Amino acid sequence: MGEPVREMTLDGRRALQTLSSVALALPAYAAAPPAESSVDYHYFDYREADLAAARSASSQAVPRYAISGHKLLAETPLGPRYGLRADLTVESMSGASPWFVMPDARGEPVQVMSGATIKDSRQDLQLSLSRYDSRRSLGVSLGYSDEDDYQAAYLGLQAAFEPAASQTSFGFGLSYSDDRLQPTEGGSARFPERIVKASKDKLSLQASMTRILNRASVLQWGLAYSRASGYLSDPYKLVYVEGATRADARPDQRSMGSFFLRLRRHIKHVQAALHLDYRATRDDWEIQTHTLEGRWAHRLAENWRYHAGLRYYTQSQAAFYAPYFTARPADGRMSSDYRLSPYGALSALAQVSYQHQGLDLALGLEHYQADAAYALGRVGAQNPGLVEFRMLSLRVAYRFD
Amino acid sequence: MGSPCDLHLYGADVRCIEDAADAARAEVERLEAKYSRYRSDSVLSQINAGAGGPALRLDDETAGLLEFACKAHAESGGLFDPSAGILRRAWDFNTVRLPDPAAITRLLPAIGLQRLHWEPPQLRLPAGMELDFGGFVKEYAADAAVAALRRAGLRHGLVNLGGDVSILGPHPDGRPWQVGIRHPRAPDTAIAQWPMHAGALASSGDYERYFIVDGRRYCHILNPHSGWPAQGFASVSVMAPQCLVAGVLSTTAMLMAPVPAMAWLTQMGLPYLAVSETGELRRGPGQARAAGCA
Repeated sequence: MGEPVREMTLDGRRALQTLSSVALALPAYAAAPPAESSVDYHYFDYREADLAAARSASSQAVPRYAISGHKLLAETPLGPRYGLRADLTVESMSGASPWFVMPDARGEPVQVMSGATIKDSRQDLQLSLSRYDSRRSLGVSLGYSDEDDYQAAYLGLQAAFEPAASQTSFGFGLSYSDDRLQPTEGGSARFPERIVKASKDKLSLQASMTRILNRASVLQWGLAYSRASGYLSDPYKLVYVEGATRADARPDQRSMGSFFLRLRRHIKHVQAALHLDYRATRDDWEIQTHTLEGRWAHRLAENWRYHAGLRYYTQSQAAFYAPYFTARPADGRMSSDYRLSPYGALSALAQVSYQHQGLDLALGLEHYQADAAYALGRVGAQNPGLVEFRMLSLRVAYRFD
Repeated sequence: MGSPCDLHLYGADVRCIEDAADAARAEVERLEAKYSRYRSDSVLSQINAGAGGPALRLDDETAGLLEFACKAHAESGGLFDPSAGILRRAWDFNTVRLPDPAAITRLLPAIGLQRLHWEPPQLRLPAGMELDFGGFVKEYAADAAVAALRRAGLRHGLVNLGGDVSILGPHPDGRPWQVGIRHPRAPDTAIAQWPMHAGALASSGDYERYFIVDGRRYCHILNPHSGWPAQGFASVSVMAPQCLVAGVLSTTAMLMAPVPAMAWLTQMGLPYLAVSETGELRRGPGQARAAGCA
């Protein structure tokens, strides 16, 4: 029987979207806390390429920084509504880092590296507790990080909710960190310009919206704002001014706004997923950045997957940055840190992973190279300290059934 | 749930599997008790007993299911209608006797989910109307049982409630389950087998309750617009992320004319298998390889 005319106007695609999203509001499909305990171990080895002889003040190649570390992440449910997660990171750093930039005989900026090899280690512990309800979750995180010359305490709040009968969900985050510095040999006879101790704090807010576009695509976009105050300079860096070196001196406030957009698209017939991310930031130090990343995740066989990706980054320089200074600025603000210089960077990353039952193994490699030639805008003089690195990572995870 | 149900589970030890299975069984029994139209203490019986009376405040789960049913009603052009159960007063599938057409016509005004006064979570059921969640609560129970297994820590298994299947996860070595689809004319044999890693499968067919008069089959899937049984398909099976959704789609497709039904399912991009009354198989595009015939 039926009414054919009416039936012809039915929209199957819309019906499926509507029904799937209304169904998800039911208790049987509620956001669930981790139903099983899991342990994740990561090892990573970050190694910067040597500073090239042509960019070095000593005209000799100089080895740079290396960090190797271990991360342990454990997650467990606490009853039907709560989940607890602990993150522990232990890393050790060694090597030389850029100290200051000076002009060579032709006025070209060249890098002077910190003479002594720095050796330090960092321990970081973070605990998060989350509560899951049918259409929302709430989480609180506490963290503490300790180095010889640096301590940071961190508090975070996260909330997510999904309105009934909707293809959209919302996320909010707030975090606050309070950091204390006691630089090595601060105020000593060797480093009289180096501060003895200082502090800074940072407040960050983030809001995001995730929308299911169709069965294969998810779009997320969001806005973030952060405000840092206190001692924001680098106590281990100097600037070269009129033939002498002085302490790195940055403003004691920094506000940054950012926008991000993430698209995930599943491509069914090749069992792959495409991730496209864009991020733009702008701060009151006049730095503007753009990051564009594409990632391809492909299932090779039943248990094997690979990811391959490319990331492009570009930034403009801070208002008070110069490779070196020929006169002391009136406001006293100056820095030659390569991270505040105008540059662009390209990274290539690849990862292979294997899953079997509760076990998940992954091996990844990333190569990163920063260069003034990659920047979007015109760059007068490239900072000689721009970095090139490779990072190797290994992950072993296990989920207890 | 009045039909054979089974669980296929893997777990670390027998004790853990038994606890999880108990939790799943309890969830199915809870839903059966809550939405049974045969039990006077069920939530559904209370709603129906309150027809014509003041508004009732529904609990979250019942409100969620009714909201889902209202959306399904709208998206199906009124073909999926939990208020059509009242047609049982005219159709008795325990006897081989066609109802009096006038009796059917008299019942039609009491059908139509759009007539509910539904302001979630407040429901006022107009006098003479009656709701029946039987058309989708079994499918929801299959999903709810999977959720209970997942809460109990299991990851590999499937729940089959009388042909409505919800997958917890593949075999521990990653192999998919081979889920059989009932032959509508030989319900103990499979007409096809589908490999499934996840998601759900629901089937509707003219073979569950029916009688044959003058060589014509009259089944229990009734068209809420006409009051007469579905015609054209012997069975429709649909694979979807949730069994609840798959069930609504297969039932609605049974009630549509074959060509628009297949167009509607094809638009969704979901795998389906429809068997016509003459025994021809119809599958979704590009699906022949993925869902091999038994």
